[in-house]
Amino acid sequence: MSNLLEVRHVTRKFGGLTANNNISFSVNENEILSVIGPNGAGKSTLFKMISSFLPTSSGEVLYRGERISNLKPHTVARMGVVRTFQETTIFKSMTVRESIVVAQHLRAKASLAGYFWGTKSAREDVESFGRYADDLIDFLGISAIRNELASNLPQGNLRALGLAIGLATDPKVLLLDEPFAGMNHDETMRMVQLVRKVRDDRGVTVLLVEHDMPAVMSISDRIIVLNFGEMIAEGTPTEIQNNQKVIEAYLGSADDEIGI
Amino acid sequence: MPRLSMIQWTGLLVFLIAVFVLVPAYIAASGRTDFYYTLTSVALLSIASAGVWLTFYIGRINIGQGAFALIGAYVSAILVTKAGISFWLSLPLAGLFAALVSVLIGVPILRLRGVYFAMITLVLTQVVTLTALALPVTNGAKGITSIPLPGEISVFGLTVIPDFAGLENPRLAFYYTSCALMVLTFAAMYRLVNSRLGHLCRSMQQNEELASSIGVNIAYIRVIVFAISSFLGGIGGAMFGSIAQSVYPSSFQVTDSVNFMLNCFLGGLGYVFGPMLGTLVLYFGWDLLFELGRYQLLVYSGLLIILMLFLPNGLLSLRIRGKGVAGR
Amino acid sequence: MEQILANGIYLGAQYAMIALGLTLIFALMNVLNFAHGQMYVLGGFVTYTFYGQLGWPFVVALLASCVTLAVLGALIEKFLFAPVIRRSSREESTMLLAAGLAFFFDAIILLVFGEKQRGVPKIVNGVLNWDFRIIMPYDRILICFLAILSIVGFIVFMQYSKTGRALRALAQDRTAAQLMGVNVERYSMIGFAIGAMLAGLVGGLLVTITGVNLGMGGPTSIKAFMMVMIGGAGVISGAIAGGIILGFMEAIGLAVLSQYGDITYLLIFVSLMIFLAIRPQGLMGKPWG
Ligand SMILES: Nc1ncnc2c1ncn2[C@@H]1O[C@H](COP(=O)(O)OP(=O)(O)OP(=O)(O)O)[C@@H](O)[C@H]1O
Ligand SMILES: [Mg+2]
Repeated sequence: MSNLLEVRHVTRKFGGLTANNNISFSVNENEILSVIGPNGAGKSTLFKMISSFLPTSSGEVLYRGERISNLKPHTVARMGVVRTFQETTIFKSMTVRESIVVAQHLRAKASLAGYFWGTKSAREDVESFGRYADDLIDFLGISAIRNELASNLPQGNLRALGLAIGLATDPKVLLLDEPFAGMNHDETMRMVQLVRKVRDDRGVTVLLVEHDMPAVMSISDRIIVLNFGEMIAEGTPTEIQNNQKVIEAYLGSADDEIGI
Repeated sequence: MPRLSMIQWTGLLVFLIAVFVLVPAYIAASGRTDFYYTLTSVALLSIASAGVWLTFYIGRINIGQGAFALIGAYVSAILVTKAGISFWLSLPLAGLFAALVSVLIGVPILRLRGVYFAMITLVLTQVVTLTALALPVTNGAKGITSIPLPGEISVFGLTVIPDFAGLENPRLAFYYTSCALMVLTFAAMYRLVNSRLGHLCRSMQQNEELASSIGVNIAYIRVIVFAISSFLGGIGGAMFGSIAQSVYPSSFQVTDSVNFMLNCFLGGLGYVFGPMLGTLVLYFGWDLLFELGRYQLLVYSGLLIILMLFLPNGLLSLRIRGKGVAGR
Repeated sequence: MEQILANGIYLGAQYAMIALGLTLIFALMNVLNFAHGQMYVLGGFVTYTFYGQLGWPFVVALLASCVTLAVLGALIEKFLFAPVIRRSSREESTMLLAAGLAFFFDAIILLVFGEKQRGVPKIVNGVLNWDFRIIMPYDRILICFLAILSIVGFIVFMQYSKTGRALRALAQDRTAAQLMGVNVERYSMIGFAIGAMLAGLVGGLLVTITGVNLGMGGPTSIKAFMMVMIGGAGVISGAIAGGIILGFMEAIGLAVLSQYGDITYLLIFVSLMIFLAIRPQGLMGKPWG
């Protein structure tokens, strides 16, 4: 099936405000799809509904034909759809490696009681978590900060840690909310490479919200544009760059940080 | 799964010898048999405090342990006096019943955080007291008295635990039982905290949203942890009832709930053995101040306040700071 | 029916005042003041001393209660809460401090006033009897009236005075208030003093009706917590709503369920739990988490 994820007529209202209005699109397997739009357009809200952190007001989201909206976040994560957070959200007093080990929760074979009694499969799990964590750390090229406390990390590394925690769950679809925020040019380029590598080497389908237009244009296979909760365009980076409605939306917004 | 180091094994051994051999020997030599009661109380209170500590471990301030201790005490007392069940069977049942109640209550209230959870658990203690006053089965304000001492357990005619009533020194028997329970509790706690459940608790304490994004069923874990916590409260309460041979609605009050919380704070929330240390210090401190008569509460609370001013992160934080390890 | 209504208003007004103080302190400094009930009892004892023992006019005694508690509140904030908040980042620390303070006040009350129940002479005599539909002593009516007056006064103060506006800004967003030039330290102290003063004022008012004793502190705190949870923590309108709702629930419960003993509070608690399961932030609280 090529349509891995399908968003169908999804609407979300907050009181009188419609943060997402009747949004529909689909995501192909192994693609990088970006969602862009001015501040407050409803991008994060959309991601939260896809990952069931927020219920929809109407409409539904399907993953491989199964509904994943209006469930619990952990259920959706179990199915393989995992989000990261726009704000830097980390386990403050864990080290990088500890965070990645904990985040492999879903890969555990032994039960919680099994860990308590230290059964064989629990010991195997613990060993494999450690190995996998080290692999992932190497894969992301963050071995220098392996044993750093998360609260001591600089901003750029925090984003990498957020990505690592998301990846540790072994997702099929990863929703990244502004993964390049607060990064300088070099850091962004490195992160872009990393996200590509995640897709290419691990076969993860990536949905991405981002304000950094050059990065978005270079990384995305397709782009979706939201404005005031409406989906106003969908297409390849070139199509989007030349779309009259998109240009107007961005010109109309006070933010001129976005250089289209 | 961490293996204990040589030093830790030695420490454990010294602790066990001290508790089970040296202390009874000292008490026998000095004739201070009142210490039995004090130390038994410390052991039991630290079991209940361990439960409170565990709820702290998922980021919830639990001031409701008195409620579960009271429930445990009543369940055991009722089972022993009205149903004629052996105390040793009523003990786990008391824990399980407390755990069951905590699941029913926990499902709605564990969604609350911070002071909201703290407030409602505090109210809970008061409500259980009022319930005990109102229900017929708990015998209202008169309480349940003359509970028989724990009976004998024998396997194939071999006496494992003797009949407490037939012992010449039941205090010593209660001391051993309570300390054994305490050692078991803290061994289990240590194990739990260092197992995956412990890691998940820690992740939830630090960030519940992130924990659920990595697939942790936070609602489920919260309930499990709260149930374990209340189980320990119920066990501690049931033992107390058996020692006192009576239970009243006032056996565990709001003050006790607050004290359980204080024990954890004082010992330090980051350390499994914190509640044990905290209970020991607070209880002994309170006992030592007995000499002061009517000034006891004044000095005690004054010291608490001063302690908060200068050591806001608990006693065990001293050790951490001494080693130069970054605190939290 | 009318009787329940009257009792509800009477209870609700005094409860609302207690809850107001607690919620103000909570809103300003995120401190759950366990010692609130003890402050209330202290207020009662001050009025008892001046009015009941020394025979001063009731109003003067009441003022003395207010002043004593306000000063006490200010000192506690400045020398205890402010330093602990500065030194420790966990909200639990202040809770612990407040619990220690509750014990401390209990100890002081025990030493100075003893354990006995204390009462004062009635401030007015006589009973209102409206056709046996409402029976209420005049002093209760007067106290109820004074309580409502104080609540109105408090609201007006918070809405229109400069201090009140600063306090509200502080409650809404500490950092923003600081940026706007509000002297955070000073107003935290003032806020705490006002919260404590409200507790003392209710204590002084009620000593004329219920008397006062050492054991009243803890249960009063617990009732205040319930009201604050019903209304939503840190919200002034919520505290008033919570107080009135609890007052009415109690009045109804006592009238309808009195033959079943003390199960009113059990029922109130169960309904509170169900309510919080549906609406964790309380009636007027902001959603969180
Ligand atoms: N929980 C909520 N309650 C009420 N309104 C909300 C809530 N969450 C979001 N909104 C509103 O919905 C709109 C969309 O918010 P959203 O966070 O999805 O925007 P966004 O596109 O991610 O913006 P940004 O680029 O700034 O992150 C905004 O107007 C926001 O104020
Ligand atoms: Mg956003």
